Amino acid sequence: MRVERRLVVNADRNAVWKVLSDPACYPSFLAYLERWETITEGPPGVGSRYTVLWKIGPVPVGGIAEVVEFDKARDLAWINITGVTQRGRVRLRDAGPGRTLVTLRLSYHSDGGVLGLIADRVAARQVGRSLAESLKNLRSLVEF
Amino acid sequence: MAGVADIIEWARQQVIARVPAADLDQRDPDYIRDQLPGTWLLAVLYFRADVRGLDRIPADGPVLLVGNHSGGNVPADTFVFTLAFCSYFGVERPFYQLAHNLVVAYPALRWLRKFGAVAANPDNARLALEAGAAVLVYPGGDYEVCRPSWQRHVIDFGGRKGFVRLAREAGVPIVPVASVGGQETALFLGRGQWLARLLMVDRVLRLKSVPISLALPWGLNIGDLLGHIPLPAKIVIEVQDPIEVDGDDQAVYDEVVASLQAGVGRLAGERRFPVIG
Repeated sequence: MRVERRLVVNADRNAVWKVLSDPACYPSFLAYLERWETITEGPPGVGSRYTVLWKIGPVPVGGIAEVVEFDKARDLAWINITGVTQRGRVRLRDAGPGRTLVTLRLSYHSDGGVLGLIADRVAARQVGRSLAESLKNLRSLVEF
Repeated sequence: MAGVADIIEWARQQVIARVPAADLDQRDPDYIRDQLPGTWLLAVLYFRADVRGLDRIPADGPVLLVGNHSGGNVPADTFVFTLAFCSYFGVERPFYQLAHNLVVAYPALRWLRKFGAVAANPDNARLALEAGAAVLVYPGGDYEVCRPSWQRHVIDFGGRKGFVRLAREAGVPIVPVASVGGQETALFLGRGQWLARLLMVDRVLRLKSVPISLALPWGLNIGDLLGHIPLPAKIVIEVQDPIEVDGDDQAVYDEVVASLQAGVGRLAGERRFPVIG
């Protein structure tokens, strides 16, 4: 299942990246976030790991995420190494002078055969809502 | 009368012999992972569940989770909490649930052992805690789970304090887990303790109650041995703050019960209607 939301913010890519590249900022803008913990030490980059859990439905869903792409002011991607199989990506692209198109994308897949497919579909609506709210929160952080 | 006593003792030994010895390796994280989506769907669509406060559980190491038990032989809150725990900490964190002998001995429920269900006795619990696992126990057991529906928001362990001694000996904290909604999945009319004594299942099967309820699809349901179809009651679970076992047994027991009672009271106060929530 792939869910994607986009938003244009009135800030340049570097300003958005400054927030995205700071792990301490994530609890401020990720909506429905239940748990956020930095596991690895050192500056964020490829290989950094975080425990990330969103409240999707009745319980927190997520696991340990590892950053697999850290392309300054362009792309940040991660995969989940525990919990629900998941790939996520934030893309930053120019949208005119001083403006940035932010794309937040989440691909996920639950085990469990048919029930897993149904669960993925049922969860998609809330996942979409979570992504949309996260983008709005990000906008308020970078535009202040 | 000696003959009757002998027969009861023989029957009791037969049941005990069929209770599988605790084998922590029977828990299967991959199996749990496969079942989580189905459990999640059930929790979302049917029970409209809500689980809070999981961050109060120590992030690692052994811990004794003590809950109030509801729902007769179909305890929906146990499934919801197991789902929540495994989702929050990952299926990799060892997590065992202490269950009545009959539950783990019943062949049709063998799959529960893959979730981590082991027979409720001090040895099994100690084994799991020494292995560094989180262990969920319902001290009220079959006594509490069969209480009348109008006492659904009352914590009643029947004075069972074994869990305090267990936590003290293992040197682990107790984390109370309060839940509401489970006792609204059927209309429980009474524990039927007199019936348990009459049928002597209290001595043979360690069953202190033979609950009498109105439940789907049976109507009048005596014993609930075949389970029932639970009503879609909203299940809300809230984990309470950990309690260190540093007082005497009675003091710790009282503190745990008080914590659970306060949690259940708070959650009950949020409910506007039975079942609907």
